[in-house]
Amino acid sequence: MGRTTFLWILALVVVLGVAGALVHEYRSDQLNEGTFRLPRRAPDFVLKTPDGAEFRLSQQRGKVVLVDFGYTFCPDVCPMTLAELAQVRTRFGEAAKRVQVVFVTIDPERDTPERLRSYTATFDPSIVGLTGSPEQLAQVRQAYGVVAEKQVVSGTSAAYLMAHSAYVYVIDPQGQLQTLFPFGMSVEEMANQIKPLLEG
Amino acid sequence: MRYMLAVSAVLALFTLIARDGAHAGQTGQAKPMIDIQDAWVRRASAMGNGAVYVTIRNQGSAPDALLSAATDVADRAELHETMGGSGRMMMQPLAKIDVPAGGTLEMKPGGYHIMLLGLTRDLKPGDTVTLTLRFERAGDMRIQATVR
Repeated sequence: MGRTTFLWILALVVVLGVAGALVHEYRSDQLNEGTFRLPRRAPDFVLKTPDGAEFRLSQQRGKVVLVDFGYTFCPDVCPMTLAELAQVRTRFGEAAKRVQVVFVTIDPERDTPERLRSYTATFDPSIVGLTGSPEQLAQVRQAYGVVAEKQVVSGTSAAYLMAHSAYVYVIDPQGQLQTLFPFGMSVEEMANQIKPLLEG
Repeated sequence: MRYMLAVSAVLALFTLIARDGAHAGQTGQAKPMIDIQDAWVRRASAMGNGAVYVTIRNQGSAPDALLSAATDVADRAELHETMGGSGRMMMQPLAKIDVPAGGTLEMKPGGYHIMLLGLTRDLKPGDTVTLTLRFERAGDMRIQATVR
C-alpha cells in the first residue's frame, strides 16, 4: 500500500467516525443531567401549604418555580439545597419575587404543617412547604420521577431515614420544565441558568 | 566451636534487646496529633435536626478515629455519611470515622457530618455551639462551632 493511499484511508476513517458520532448525538433523546433536550410541560399538581391553602402549580405562571423534594428530618442534603436556593433568590434583587421555591415533602408522616413551615422559614420565609395525602404526594413524585424510599437503618436513633433523589426541577414562567439542577451545583451556576428564564 | 556458639548467643541476645528497645521507643513516640478546623453548624429550627461540619487534621505519627460527639443543643449527636449522587442519596450512620496519621478528614454537605437529633433550641446564624468530640486515642476535645 502506498503512503498516499494509506493517508486517504486514514482520513476516510476519521471522517466516518466524526459523522457517526454526530448522528448518534443528534438521535440521542436521552435526558442528560442538567438539561432537557426539549422543554416539556411541567406536570401540574395541587398540594397544600402549611396554612392549609391550595397550591396549584399552573397558577404560578409568570414565575420561575424551583421545585425541591425532601423531608424536614434531613439535616444535610435538604438544608444545603434550600440554603443555596435562598442564596440564588438574593441574586435577583426585585425580580426575586418572580422566583418561587417550593419544598415538597417526601415524608408526610413526620412533616406536620408546623414542622414544614419552621423548616423552610429557617432558610427563606418565601419558600413554600407543600404537603398532601400520601397518595397525592406519590402521584407528584411519579410524575417528576422522584425517588423516595423509607429506610430503617441500624446505628441511629432515628426511627427511619429516607433515601431520595436530590434534583431541583426548574419550571419557567410559561410552565415548561426547563432543566434539573443536580445536588451541589453552585449558586452562581444556578443563578446563571435561571436569569434567561426570567428575562425571556 | 564452643567459642563461636557463645558469640552467636550473645549476638542474638543483643539483637533481641535492640529490636525490643526500638519497638518500645516507637510506641512511646507514635501519637496522633489532632486539630480541628472550620467547625460550623447549619442553621436549623428547634423543630428539626441539625448538622455539624468540621475538618480534622492528624499531624501525628499514629492513626486515630472519631468515635462520637456530644453537645447540649441536641439530645443526640451521631456520625453520619451521606452517600450516592443526585439520583439517590442516603445517610449512613457510622460507628467511627478514621483519621489516618498525616491525614485530613473534611466533613462537608453531601458527605461526612455530625447529625444533631432533637435540637433543644433554634440554631441561628452567628450563634456558637459547643461540642465534645471523642477520639479513640486523642481522647475528648471541646470545640466551638459557629452557626451559619
